[in-house]
Amino acid sequence: MSHYEAPIREPLVLGDKSYHDITEDIAKPIEGKANKNWYMAFYISLAAMLWGFGCIFYTVGTGIGVWGLSKNIGWAWDITNFVWWVGIGHAGTLISAVLLLFRQKWRMAINRSAEAMTIFAVFQAGLFPIIHMGRPWNGYWVLPIPNQFGSLWVNFNSPLLWDVFAISTYLSVSLVFWWTGLLPDFAMIRDRAVKPFQKKIYALLSFGWSGRAKDWQRFEEVSLVLAGLATPLVLSVHTIVSFDFATSINPGWHSTIFPPYFVAGAIFSGFAMVQTLLGIMRKVTNMEEYITRLHIEYMNIVIILTGGIVAVAYATEFFIAWYTGSPYEYYTYLSVGAATGPYWWAFYSLLLFNIAIPQLLWIKKIRRSFIWSFIISIAINIGMWFERFDIIAIVLSKGHLPSTWWRFEPTFVDVGIFIGTIGFFFVLFLLYARTFPVIAQAEVKTILKSSGEFYKKRREQGIPTKPEIKVAKPAAKKESKSDKKDKE
Amino acid sequence: MASNKKYWKSVEELTNSSIVETLSKNEFVEEIPTDEFLGDKESLENSSTTRRDFLKYIGFTTAAASLAACEGPVRKSIPYVVKPNDYIPGVADWYATSIADGFDFANVLVKTREGRPIQIMPNKEANGTTSARVQASVLSLYDEKLRLKEPTRNGETITWTDADAAIGAKLSALKEANTPVVFLTGSLASPSTNKIISEFITAYPNVKHVVYDAVSESGAADAMMAMFGKRALPNYHLDKAKTIVSFGADFLGDFHGGFEKQYVNGRKPETGSMSYHVQFESNMSLTGANADKRVVLKPSEQVFALLNLYNAVTGSSVSSKATPVDAEVKAMAVELKKAGSKGVVLTGLNDKNAQLIAFAINKALNSEVFDTNNTLNTRQGNDAEVSQLVADIKAGKVGGLLAYNVDPAYSLPNASEFVDALSKVSLKVAYSTENNDTVNAMEFALPAPHFLESWGDTMFDEVTYGLAQPTIQPLFNSRQLQDTLLLWSGNSIKYYDYLKAFATENILGGSSWNTALHNGFYTKELSEAVAFDSTVDLSAAASALANSARKANGFELTLHTTTGLGDGKQANNPWLQEFPDPITRVSWDNYLTMSMADANELGFANPVRDNGAIDGNYAKVSVNGKEVTVPVIIQPGQAKGSFGLSLGYGRTFGLKEEMQVGVNAYPLYTNASNVQYGVSIEKVSGNHEFACPQVQKTIAGRHDILKVASLKEYKTVDPKDHHHGWNKPAYVSYDHKEVEANTIDIWDEHNRELGHHFNLSIDLTSCTGCGACVIACHAENNVPVVGKKEVRVGRDMHWLRIDRYYSSEVETREDAKELGLSRGEMYRALETEAENPEVTFQPMMCQHCNHAPCETVCPVAATSHGRQGQNQMAYNRCVGTRYCANNCPYRVRRFNWFNYANNDEFDFNMNNEYGKMVLNPDVTVRSRGVMEKCSMCIQMTQATIVKAKKEGRPVNTDEFETACSSACTTGSLVFGDINNKEDEVTSLIADKRAYNVLDYLQTKPNVVYQVKIKNTNEA
Repeated sequence: MSHYEAPIREPLVLGDKSYHDITEDIAKPIEGKANKNWYMAFYISLAAMLWGFGCIFYTVGTGIGVWGLSKNIGWAWDITNFVWWVGIGHAGTLISAVLLLFRQKWRMAINRSAEAMTIFAVFQAGLFPIIHMGRPWNGYWVLPIPNQFGSLWVNFNSPLLWDVFAISTYLSVSLVFWWTGLLPDFAMIRDRAVKPFQKKIYALLSFGWSGRAKDWQRFEEVSLVLAGLATPLVLSVHTIVSFDFATSINPGWHSTIFPPYFVAGAIFSGFAMVQTLLGIMRKVTNMEEYITRLHIEYMNIVIILTGGIVAVAYATEFFIAWYTGSPYEYYTYLSVGAATGPYWWAFYSLLLFNIAIPQLLWIKKIRRSFIWSFIISIAINIGMWFERFDIIAIVLSKGHLPSTWWRFEPTFVDVGIFIGTIGFFFVLFLLYARTFPVIAQAEVKTILKSSGEFYKKRREQGIPTKPEIKVAKPAAKKESKSDKKDKE
Repeated sequence: MASNKKYWKSVEELTNSSIVETLSKNEFVEEIPTDEFLGDKESLENSSTTRRDFLKYIGFTTAAASLAACEGPVRKSIPYVVKPNDYIPGVADWYATSIADGFDFANVLVKTREGRPIQIMPNKEANGTTSARVQASVLSLYDEKLRLKEPTRNGETITWTDADAAIGAKLSALKEANTPVVFLTGSLASPSTNKIISEFITAYPNVKHVVYDAVSESGAADAMMAMFGKRALPNYHLDKAKTIVSFGADFLGDFHGGFEKQYVNGRKPETGSMSYHVQFESNMSLTGANADKRVVLKPSEQVFALLNLYNAVTGSSVSSKATPVDAEVKAMAVELKKAGSKGVVLTGLNDKNAQLIAFAINKALNSEVFDTNNTLNTRQGNDAEVSQLVADIKAGKVGGLLAYNVDPAYSLPNASEFVDALSKVSLKVAYSTENNDTVNAMEFALPAPHFLESWGDTMFDEVTYGLAQPTIQPLFNSRQLQDTLLLWSGNSIKYYDYLKAFATENILGGSSWNTALHNGFYTKELSEAVAFDSTVDLSAAASALANSARKANGFELTLHTTTGLGDGKQANNPWLQEFPDPITRVSWDNYLTMSMADANELGFANPVRDNGAIDGNYAKVSVNGKEVTVPVIIQPGQAKGSFGLSLGYGRTFGLKEEMQVGVNAYPLYTNASNVQYGVSIEKVSGNHEFACPQVQKTIAGRHDILKVASLKEYKTVDPKDHHHGWNKPAYVSYDHKEVEANTIDIWDEHNRELGHHFNLSIDLTSCTGCGACVIACHAENNVPVVGKKEVRVGRDMHWLRIDRYYSSEVETREDAKELGLSRGEMYRALETEAENPEVTFQPMMCQHCNHAPCETVCPVAATSHGRQGQNQMAYNRCVGTRYCANNCPYRVRRFNWFNYANNDEFDFNMNNEYGKMVLNPDVTVRSRGVMEKCSMCIQMTQATIVKAKKEGRPVNTDEFETACSSACTTGSLVFGDINNKEDEVTSLIADKRAYNVLDYLQTKPNVVYQVKIKNTNEA
């Protein structure tokens, strides 16, 4: 696997790492004890999650009326949060599947966490379509299950039904893909585990991975097949989510540009969320040498690209709203009407966070700065939330009949549920960071000798990178051998 | 016969009985080793029932026991043991009756189901009309909170016998002492009751009958007395009018009981001529909103304008003053003269002199609209007698007071003085259907039945004799006033027999009592004509009038009634409280209306909050030393320098807490004058939260929603003309060509030929915005009431609402272009209402689109299209995603945010056993979490079909009705089957005025609107 890589390319693994070092680094958060920061973060998230669950129970127990919705604005934060989380869930599959097909090695350091983020985000997203129902206990009616209710069947015309299929497919494929990638790494943890219980659990999770050549061959094949399957999903999920709006009759929703625009926006927000998470995680779990400036920069480049697409889409929407001259289009979420209406603050937040601030990434210094990337990623997260809020709330607030013009104000329950999903998300992510190998170590090892800093430097200096030269450091050699054994 | 045969089962039993005996004593052949088993630890441990099994058994038993204990709530449904002959469960019975509660008068039909009245509809054969209040009065029947249930004395329950004895004794004593006793009632309009009262007075000569209307029109009656020698209200046949000039007379509201039917009959554009209606007024009233031309004028200036008109029409020169609208007045004088006998002038001032002047103009025109013979009996109150009564009580001259269904302790301007003075009255009897302040202040409280529980007769005008019959057994221990008076007069006859005899002898003239009772009315010959007394000193009247108006200083206040609450009798009726005012669209409140100019000067505003609701500031209003603090609504079309405030709100005694809304304006109603001068106002601190379901006031230039044309355009311009057409269809680009939107279609059409296909036509010309349909829909479809807080945040459940749009100064985008406005300016101009706007009402309910946007988006197919054209909603399939509501361009879908039935948070009629009796058993009460909306009264159309089928005939022409169409007295809403070519609606949908709202969307609604035609540019 160790292909030659041009020396001018920056290394993807920093430091003088051996295979065993990688193993140690990845296994450390799992095997070691959590620090105070982890506990603090965990308890805050847990509290937020429980608060959110409380709000959900209150909603289900009392009625949707505890939200700020009205007869004229039937969706607001619920579907905003849904689309926001689904959008966030897009980066994972893009990184692991599309970048795999394109043989982008830099994905290896981030794909695990990105996928975890995807799955956890889709969990959050999936909550909303269920709890936003007036009668969530009947939510299973949206599934085409043969039933005895008579000749009742789902309505295949409804974009909401397409959502059900799109999201559940996406979730299951992502989960399988993620798990497949995790097998060798779980096996690694299993083999290192000393506590019998831990060993048993990781043995279960690794599905009896033995490390034989046949395992590796099948692993590679399945990864490729799943990557092929998942790639169209990257495009389809948000396309279908956008259909919720695009196929409707509301001015501002009824827009043919929505599918590509939503997909770009989803990748945009997904990468931003990966930046946010990795910005924290590389510090907390000491992964600075695996998640490098280069990774950050690559992701920022994707953000610039997708952000650019999104900006063009905004401009198009704004232009079309103006160009049609339709009185109905004058009030859509990207229009003069929105900019001067009661939701001007949401309108300008959208432009500021999603268009203006990301432009800073054109500056190389900023693009390569961890702290700036982190700040900008937060801005994009906020901006993308506003994008969905604007699309939903502003459009619904100015319906066809002026008599139905209304406004939306969230109640504490709306806010509580949103915060709760953020808490839930971080609870899952923090648990994941302590129990799962957060970097696909098996894959990273494959690029260590081609893209590792140590080996690159050696090559550059003309020093052979074959193991023979390591005679000078017998200890290291021994370790790496045992590590190899470990791996096999 | 004894038998000595012995039966045996075994040889042993036959031969040796001892073994058998021993065995038979021992039931178990082998002893069960219980003690041994339980005592032996080892065997116990070896037994096959392990601890786990034991837990399983325990678990199963517990689960089984608890499951068996679970039971769905039991709702008792008890069948008739002996079924009454004329009831068929599930089949509605209709009774013709009359409502006369002192303020609302109507000949109605009452629908009863299983012995419960559940709906009130106009008796159209009797020319009956129903207002929102009449429609809603069926719910007041079941008002268990407010209705009097037992006779009481000082709050203690007593029997009728005791009450009769005690009151009778006191009455006799007062008769002995010849101390005056006053019998105070509202306007009764009941000939038999009047006769009973006169008989009662014969028996007790010290009794005086005083008629008291909370909202008085005594001025008109006094003027009639002076000019025509008959104390009654004149009738106005507005259908005959060509020119109508009204000075603040809200004749589509409560002026003389309302004339909307006659008014609309005179305004049918298809006949080619419409009356020309000019309204001079200060408040924006329903009548002004419907006028062809509305002239904004302060009340004092209305007086001078009236006098100027009098001078201009009659050529006299009574004392007057110039007004800012003299040009309009002159023009109207010309118009009136041109119209001659088809012209009419009305004034809403409750002032004898003002009425005299208006009568004189009508007389000068020889107006055939103005009818002094077939007069109205709907307001008989006499202000002079009432104020004399209060003075007498204060002076201690009154020995007894019998108040029947009036609430002077609430509605008198000096109510507290009245209540204090009552201590000087020795006999105090309140005879009332409902509990109120007066009942509270009296010694005796006698429950009167609701009109739906009563016999009675009515005479609203001089020709229609209406009959009232009970439609339900009295719910409480009540007794009719008439029975009581007969008893107290020493007459043992029952009122029913009395009434029958009275009607047969005096009215029916030989025709059948049963037929009259069945029809609910009998049309009499007009008996007598009144004589015009030309000697009335009009110039004196004019100068008195002018002098009173000259005194006007400061701000001027017009007190009026609202469509929802009227004089406040039904203030505890949640349907009426939740009913949004047709003009302001505010529900659950009254408020001071103020012009924008005054509001800017005085610092009042109605900001829109982030939750969509509007807020207001409080104003302290003082008149004649009396003060009230009211919230302010800025009202376009309000005359600068004047305010409006509605009566009927602010009742608190006995009302449910939720209904204790608004401010009592009666203290300002001094001298029963609906106009008060010398008002001062002060902004006070505090923020008022309004519940107003419509915030945007104009149509924002979207003229494919609302189409208005002038009569001239209607007659001369091609409706589809590209430039000047007044009913242009939407055009879309197709194949690079402009084509009519309805010529292209991406969907397959449903087959509409088979069976029935329902359509509803809504004529915006004849819709006055009265809202009777809204309440009818409430009653028919069990629409829940959600309360002020929920209405405030935009969650009213009205299936049918009436959108009210004001015009803006710049009405169209073309106008804006001509004015050279930029886009931003244009939209701002289109969104801002004019200072004195034209008003249009648009009833809006589910449009039952043939290409319904809601149907495609429901994931569970809970809403789908019916074969008869309805868009149907399957409540029990709905999971509540609300996608359908978001995708409905008309926003007519209503979501059950909470459980509105059996929920203490929503303590309205669906939360108590009495209130639930009004529910229509044919319509499901929806649970929370489901969407609901107008069903085109599918339960009614299906019942019609089933009825026709049972009778073995096709459905008759125009037999199909919905609740709204049958409640609509002006004929604006017409429902029918377009597959029946004879149905009225079939021709209406082909009319050149017909259009679909938002036709560019091509939703192809089954609800068709007719362009509003105003007689604006033709006199």
